[in-house]
Formats: sequence, C-alpha cells, structure tokens
Amino acid sequence: MSKQRIVSVFNDEDKLVEAFEKIKAAGFKPEEVYTPYPIHEILEGMGKKTRITHAAFFYGLFGALAVLGFLYYAAVVSWPLNFGGKPFNSFPSFIVVTIVATILIVTLLTLFTFSARAKVFPGKKAELIHDRATDDKFVMVFTKDDLGKNLESLNKILKENGVEEVLEK
Amino acid sequence: MYKTEVRGLLIEGDKSLGQITKDIVKPIDAKTPLWWYITLFISLSMFGFGIYCKYITVSVGIGTWGLNNSIGWGWAIINFVWWIGIGHAGTAFSIFLLILRQKWRTAINRAAEAMTVVAVMCAGLFPLLHMGRVWLFFYVLPYPNTRGPLWVNFNSPLFWDFVAISAYLLISASFWYFGMVPDFATIRDTTKSKIKKAVYGFFSFGWVGSSKEWLRYEALSFVLGGIAAVLVVSVHSIVSTDFAVSVEPGWHTTIFPPYFVVGAIFSGFAMVLTLVTIMRVMYKMNDFVTDSHIDAVARILVFISLIMGTAYVTEIFMAWYSGSEYEIYTFFHNRIFGIHAFQFWAMFISNAIVPQLFWFKKVRRKLWMVFVISIIINVGMWFERFNIVVTSLSRDYLPANWATYSPTWVELGFFVGTLGLFITGVLLFFRYIPMIAISEIKSVSKFNKPRKDYLKHTGHE
Repeated sequence: MSKQRIVSVFNDEDKLVEAFEKIKAAGFKPEEVYTPYPIHEILEGMGKKTRITHAAFFYGLFGALAVLGFLYYAAVVSWPLNFGGKPFNSFPSFIVVTIVATILIVTLLTLFTFSARAKVFPGKKAELIHDRATDDKFVMVFTKDDLGKNLESLNKILKENGVEEVLEK
Repeated sequence: MYKTEVRGLLIEGDKSLGQITKDIVKPIDAKTPLWWYITLFISLSMFGFGIYCKYITVSVGIGTWGLNNSIGWGWAIINFVWWIGIGHAGTAFSIFLLILRQKWRTAINRAAEAMTVVAVMCAGLFPLLHMGRVWLFFYVLPYPNTRGPLWVNFNSPLFWDFVAISAYLLISASFWYFGMVPDFATIRDTTKSKIKKAVYGFFSFGWVGSSKEWLRYEALSFVLGGIAAVLVVSVHSIVSTDFAVSVEPGWHTTIFPPYFVVGAIFSGFAMVLTLVTIMRVMYKMNDFVTDSHIDAVARILVFISLIMGTAYVTEIFMAWYSGSEYEIYTFFHNRIFGIHAFQFWAMFISNAIVPQLFWFKKVRRKLWMVFVISIIINVGMWFERFNIVVTSLSRDYLPANWATYSPTWVELGFFVGTLGLFITGVLLFFRYIPMIAISEIKSVSKFNKPRKDYLKHTGHE
C-alpha cells in the first residue's frame, strides 16, 4: 500500500488505553487499533457506532410479521383444513412457530449483516498489520499523511506511555 | 461490576497473554496422545454399530423396535429428549451467564457449546428415524407442493418440535462458530505449520482484531445472546408440549414446560461438569478450569436439583389433589409403588437426593466425586425420561390395552451409536478446536490483578 503508516506496538492493555486517551486529548486519532480482545475504552473512543442491534430489531419485527403472514396464508387462504373443529386462523397456536422462526431469522440475518459490515467472511485474506495483534500485542496504527504536524507529539506521547516499538510500514 | 473476591482467581498461575494462547493451543499443536486414538477407535466402532442398527431400522422397519400399540414411544423418544436436554447446557451456559455477566463462564462456555451442537445432532436422529420412512421426512417442511398444496398442521406440537430443533441446531452452531473466529485467527497467526495456517486461516474469515470488527462482534454477541436466551427456554417447552397436550395420565399437566426446561438445564450442566473434569484430567487445563469453576457449577447443580425435587413432589401432590383416579393410579400404583418403581426411584434418588451432596465443600473439591455425581445425574435424567414416556403409556385408561415394553437390540444399538457420535464429536473438538475461548479468557485475565491504573480508567466511565 502506498499509504505510509506508523505502527505502535504495546505490551499491555493499560498502557495502550493510557496512550490512546492522551492521543485523543491531543486532538487526533489512530486510524485503527488492533487488539487480541475487545477493549471498551478503545471501542468507545474510536467513535464508531454500530447499528447491528437496530437492524436486528427490524429483522425481528418483519420476520415475525412474515412468519405469521405465511401461517395465515397457508392455513386460512391456501388450503384450509379442519383440525378438530378449531378455527382455521388459530392464532394462539401459531405464536409458537412464530417465536422460534423469528429467532432463527434474526440470528441468520444478523450474522450476515455482521459478516458484511465487519467484512469477516469465508475466503477473505487477513491483512495483518502486526502478526501478534491476535495473540498478545496491542497495536495502534496511524496514517502518516493524516498526522501532519502531530507526528512529533505522537512520538512523545507514545514514548511516555511505554510503547514497546514503533514501526513504519 | 465484577468482584474477583467472590469467585477467586479466574486464571491461576499469573500467565501472560502469550502464555494463555500457548497453553490453550497446546493440544492442537502437540502430538496426538495414544488414549485419544484408542477412544476414537472405540467411539467410531460404537458409531458404526449405530449406523448398522439404523440400516436395520430403515430397511426392515420400525417393527424391529420393541414398540407396540400401547407403547408407541420407547427408547427413541426417551433418548431424543435426553440428548436434547443435554444439548441445552451450551446455550444456557453461555447465554444466561453472559446476560448475568458471570465472567467465569469464559473458561467453560466453548466446551459447553461444542457439546450442545453434537448433542442436538444426536437428538435429531431419533425423531427422524422414528418416522419410519425417513426418505419422506421433507413432508414435514411447509413448502408449496404438488399435494394440494397441502400444508402441515401448524397446531401440532410435533411440527413445533421440528421447527424448534432445527432452529436450535442452526443457531447454536452459528453462535458457537462465530465465537471461534477470533481464536482461529490467533491459531493462524501463532502456528508454525503451513497446513494449519492455511486451514485455520480459511476458517478465521480474515479476522484481524481491529476495533471495527470487535465493535460489531460485541453487538452481534449481544443480539444473539439476548435472543437465544428465549430460544433455550422455548425449545424444551415445546418438547414438553409433545407430551403435555395429549390426554395421557401423567403427561397432561401444566407443570411440564418449566419442569422440562429445568430438567434440561440440569442434565446439560451435569454433562458440562463431566466434560470439564475430563478436560482437567486429560489436558491439564487446571489453570483455566480452576477448583472454583467446578465449585460454581456444582453449586448451580444443588440449586437446580432442589427445583427438580420440588417439581417431582408437585407432580405427585397434584396427582393426589386432583382426585383423578387415573392420575393417582399412574403416580402411585404405576410409578412410586408399582411395576416401574425401580425407574421412578432411580430418577428421584439420582436427581433430587444425590446432588444434595454438593452442599458439602469437601465433595465439591474432590474431582472424582464431582465426576461420579455428574454421571449419576445424567443416568438419573435418562430414567426421568423413561419414567415419563413409558410408565404413562404402559397403563392408561383401558386395562385391555395395557402392555409392557422393553427395547430390542436395534434400539439399544441406535442409542449406543449416538453415544459414539457424541464421544467422537467431543474428541475431535478437543483435538482440533481451542477448547477454551482464548479471546474471552484473555479479556478476563486483567481481573486477576486489579492494578491502580486500571481502576482509574473504570472510574471515569
């Protein structure tokens, strides 16, 4: 990639979070942070929001309506059958299938949404910035062009907060 | 927030993050031990024998089973309910404890979920073959067809069951799989073997651990966790309606859904305990699955055992209090003091009495005792299902229809086959998949040593 990147590697979570908050206070932000497990300070600090939960709600809403609609269509419109004199539209007993099928719909669609939005899908090649970021290193990556004049203050903050190594890629 | 003082250390041995990865991935990189091959051989033989019995069942027919006109549900349904009950642990474990923010689940949830997926597969085989003409099973699916279109009966619990079990299998498998994606990435990046790099690399879906991925990953597990909690409760409730909506004495009770759900979680947790003990003994995972983890599961089992006991006594009380002579006959003359007394008391003692030993810390701390009790619970839960399925059917309203039931070798072999499938699945899991959720256990490792600077951060949240 032609973009010049500065890769800072930390040894533990506390130091990373400390440095991250100082950098944010200094008025700029890393391009991306790679960690072996989710760190909430970072997730919130990066300022990204996810609407997966909202999407899931609507999947559930429309999924439930679709399932109920289908049951109604099959049992009342398409081929009504008399089961022991019960009404064709036996709504209360449709609820059971509706709940379970809705849960299935929500799960699958949310998974696909996650896969599409987080770009995690079968056959994708991992673009590793640092090969221990999924093991025991915490990696903060900056784009050199975005930094501009902040480069020096960045180096200072990184050093002060015990960065293990700084690489340019 | 979480207090470590309550639970003790979550990970023993003051490990670095790299060390955690190494310890958990070790069985995958190490040479396969001999006992693994021996057990795999035995379990595959069991599985093979099961396949032979299934072949007999399909080619000759259900007549090879010991069923008769009165007792139309025998071992197949007993084992189906038994397996699906065991299959409840994984999701119950991950999800209820996730919602309750119990951090200690991180050491066990992966194994519990793996067990769930295999157990549900075992369970699904029984109703499938019980259909007799298994090649026509797709008639259960509601799809536009050339028979009318004639749809299935949406009011039938057997159809609900079909929907619930297939949904449960799909959902628990995907929940389990997506939990493993970051760990596969860890193996991909730490292994030295090229083949493993390629294989685990493929299954890791290009995961790199960026904040974008983690943010959505957290949202995903939040959604799946919340929604699957409903599923866990509803699946076994639906299984119980297979019985409860019929008018058989001993089945036709409103207590069935909660009774079944609790029973399922009970047997599932017992199986988790069995599995976790094996993990500790065979793979030396003592640092992750500590004594206090075992202790916590054992305490939960005491609690659930009390609920089970209450449910048994409630059933008996209601049978007497209802004044219905059929109910009274089933419970008192058929189960407690009758021809099925052995099965009844086996159930009652193993599920309601024996687990009470877990009140004693000495018992909870002795691994072999925990192991034995967990096995006893599993056997007891099997007897519970025998008790429910067979005793009610054997003697109901018309004495002319009374019958007894014993399984044939084909049914026995079918069951042995599913045990083989289960053991095979668990062995493959131990060998090829990180048996503890690496990324999750890393995220709780900081709770081991609350440092000043860490506390400061949580302070201004």
